[in-house]
Amino acid sequence: MNDAHSPTGTALGRAAAPALTGRARLVLDGVSKRWRRSDRPVLDRIRLEVPAATVVVVAGRNGVGKTTLLRIVAGIIAADAGSVALDGLSPRRNRRRYHRQVGFLSAGSAGLYARLTVAQHLAYWASLAFVPAGEREERVASALARFELEDVAGQRADRLSMGQRQRLRLALALLHEPTLLLLDEPWNSLDGEGIELVNAAILDFKARGGSGLVCTPSGHELDALPADRTYVLDGGRLEAGAHVAL
Amino acid sequence: MLRSDLAGAAAVVRRDFLVFVSYRFRFLSEIVAATLAVALFYYVSRLVTSGAFTSSDEYFAFAVMGLVVLEVLTAALVVMPLALRQELVAGTFERSLVSAFGPVQYLLAMSVFPFLSTLVRAMITITVAVVVFGMPVDWSTAILALPTVALGFVAFLPFALLITAAVFVVKQVGAGSGLLLACLSISAGVLFPVFLLPDWIEWTSDVQPLTPALDLLRHLVTGSPIDSVWTTTLRLAAFAAVLLPVSIVALSACLRYAQRHGTVLEY
Repeated sequence: MNDAHSPTGTALGRAAAPALTGRARLVLDGVSKRWRRSDRPVLDRIRLEVPAATVVVVAGRNGVGKTTLLRIVAGIIAADAGSVALDGLSPRRNRRRYHRQVGFLSAGSAGLYARLTVAQHLAYWASLAFVPAGEREERVASALARFELEDVAGQRADRLSMGQRQRLRLALALLHEPTLLLLDEPWNSLDGEGIELVNAAILDFKARGGSGLVCTPSGHELDALPADRTYVLDGGRLEAGAHVAL
Repeated sequence: MLRSDLAGAAAVVRRDFLVFVSYRFRFLSEIVAATLAVALFYYVSRLVTSGAFTSSDEYFAFAVMGLVVLEVLTAALVVMPLALRQELVAGTFERSLVSAFGPVQYLLAMSVFPFLSTLVRAMITITVAVVVFGMPVDWSTAILALPTVALGFVAFLPFALLITAAVFVVKQVGAGSGLLLACLSISAGVLFPVFLLPDWIEWTSDVQPLTPALDLLRHLVTGSPIDSVWTTTLRLAAFAAVLLPVSIVALSACLRYAQRHGTVLEY
């Protein structure tokens, strides 16, 4: 287990910046973002490494920039400065190869087509994520089983409970077997059973060598999260939080 | 990679089809709407005694083909930007941004189903006009209307992509697409011959793709006179060949602008 202050898996707080090793799977180097009409950056020279088989949790108050951080890593928006690399791939220059390796779950429960069924969503995403044609059916069946969605496979998304929707969204994020999983507040709207399912999925993903970057609002008991390391995002900077051994 | 792209595009078309058929009465209501529109112009045509047309039936055929092209144009200019806006509101566009398929390919694929459904509506419109209202058809060339509509759609698509690109920058484009639709319809003579336009504006009918699309369709389906089929077809193809790459570049640039400013998912 790496220490939160060791060069590998390190986030820079307000202290001096340790050197990046460049060996980690995900490397953020000096990532900054400032919104127009704002005199302070929402992300200020963020440096972070996430090695393989490691889950990093970033906590912070609402509006502090957690979603912005995840969206930059996901390649949805661009940073003003700095770089993001996943196994040496850039979300801009190597967009397709990069996105084949990224699974993304946005905050909330949106992002589903009300009139499509659970199985139709999975089959649709398998094609958009470039899952090979011969594997799509098997991946869909496997995702249905893994996220306990078999009973609602033929049900439309607008008829799902919040917990079922979240399970479907998580299944979509993992369907194409990414190496990096980005989760924005994945425990929202879930009951105890749903939280256990998300945690199990994160741990299973990590056990298979995946890297995870998970954002959660402040107030969660950081020690209880399935994380190797936790950081707190505040004032545009990451500060080391609790260090949890799994 | 081409196979993966085709699979991605097919998935988007299939998704749009599944959503369309999930509303049971949607297709039926579209048939009724097309029938009523044809009926409206049939009765309006009974009033036409202008020297521009030899008979009311000739104007009726002229107007029906105008309606068909107007539907194709509306599908291109209005449906696509509206669909993108709905995707932004529903949060579903985000998925295309994190997909290997990619947002630009995704937006291009989103144009396919509206085109196919418009093609079906166009055939229904012409069928109703022929069967119910007795519109004369030149059967020897009418089948060529299908590839012509396809070519017309590709020629109109750049306008749709430019308006869709504007969605990323200004978010609301309903008024703009309506204005463009009206300007193109007037200058191309959708429901009246362009020679009725004032001289100072008549030139606009020559610098946009709607006019050659209309001329071709009217010639192929109803046998109306045309200067040269090949020249008109080439004009239409040239519009598509020149404008499509330009509009794709503009769409990519606007997307990058929104990603840089962090507003790509705002609505």
